[in-house]
Amino acid sequence: MKKIILSGIITGAFLFILSYGCLYLGIRFFPTLFIDYNNPLFNSEGNRDGLFYLHAFVISFALSWFWDRFKGLLKGHFILRGFEFGFIYAMVSLLPVMWITFSSLDITIFMVLSWFLYGFAQAVIAGILLGKLNP
Amino acid sequence: MNDQVKRLKIIIMFMLALIPVSRLMAGNIADPIKWILTKECTLKVNGSTNINKFSCIIPEYARPDTLLFYRKKNEPLQLSGSLSLDVQNFDCHNPVMTSDLRKTLKAKIYPRIIIHFLNLSKYPDPDIKEGVLKGAVTIELAGTTKRFEVDYRYITLANGNLRLIGTKQVNFSDFNISPPRKLGGMIKTNNELVVEFLLTMKLNTQ
Repeated sequence: MKKIILSGIITGAFLFILSYGCLYLGIRFFPTLFIDYNNPLFNSEGNRDGLFYLHAFVISFALSWFWDRFKGLLKGHFILRGFEFGFIYAMVSLLPVMWITFSSLDITIFMVLSWFLYGFAQAVIAGILLGKLNP
Repeated sequence: MNDQVKRLKIIIMFMLALIPVSRLMAGNIADPIKWILTKECTLKVNGSTNINKFSCIIPEYARPDTLLFYRKKNEPLQLSGSLSLDVQNFDCHNPVMTSDLRKTLKAKIYPRIIIHFLNLSKYPDPDIKEGVLKGAVTIELAGTTKRFEVDYRYITLANGNLRLIGTKQVNFSDFNISPPRKLGGMIKTNNELVVEFLLTMKLNTQ
């Protein structure tokens, strides 16, 4: 349990810096890709900002627990294990969620694809880190 | 007692004497000049976020209204009348941004934006083709009313109609509205907005 929590915290800190850093740079250098976020579907009052920034830790703790349960099934080099772990997460969790999101909300395919890739990248990085922290 | 009656009579006579004097003073105010707002009135709002600029417009004014100009000697021109616009008619040339602006301006709770015209620095001279003026208005938006001094440009059109173009920089915060922010504040709308209203009026000769 201690290992799951510790790995979750370290992975969360790493994902926090990487995810929001990339998002910040993306908005800074490719602003036109983010114009569709000026949409009433997205919260604009700032009262959920804390929850938004906690996401990196929420996903890290979830993936840390998931890794601990299923790491025995993933063999080979830690980078390969990380990629496979990210792929499993993307197929099992992201794909169905993105599917229902796109089919029910008024958002663009580009937006949904970017979320899918963002989540996949997060899970791969988390998998690589967890492979080292909790082999 | 007689003295008191006498003093009372003086006061009453003085008060009665004031009536014709006040009428004489009121004579300085001519009958108001009526201008009818035509359908070609628009309201434009220009703003920006940290990733783009937006320009939203209410392209026409569906309910013709009257502006009354009260000319007084040696005083700013008093105005009476207002422009009442439907917030739902804002068009930002992008459906997503349009609905976001409507939500920001709380269109469901406060469906109208109302501009009350209070005064002008002078009467727009119809013999001069173009000129500049200043004037005061109140803008009622999202449940808050605020007074502003506005810079106007006026143009006398070929058909004798008058076009007044008022421009003013306002802030979302003037109306107790928080500028929208998305993705944890990474996408932020700037507080400043430039409001431009274009009034096209024809003189009511009736």
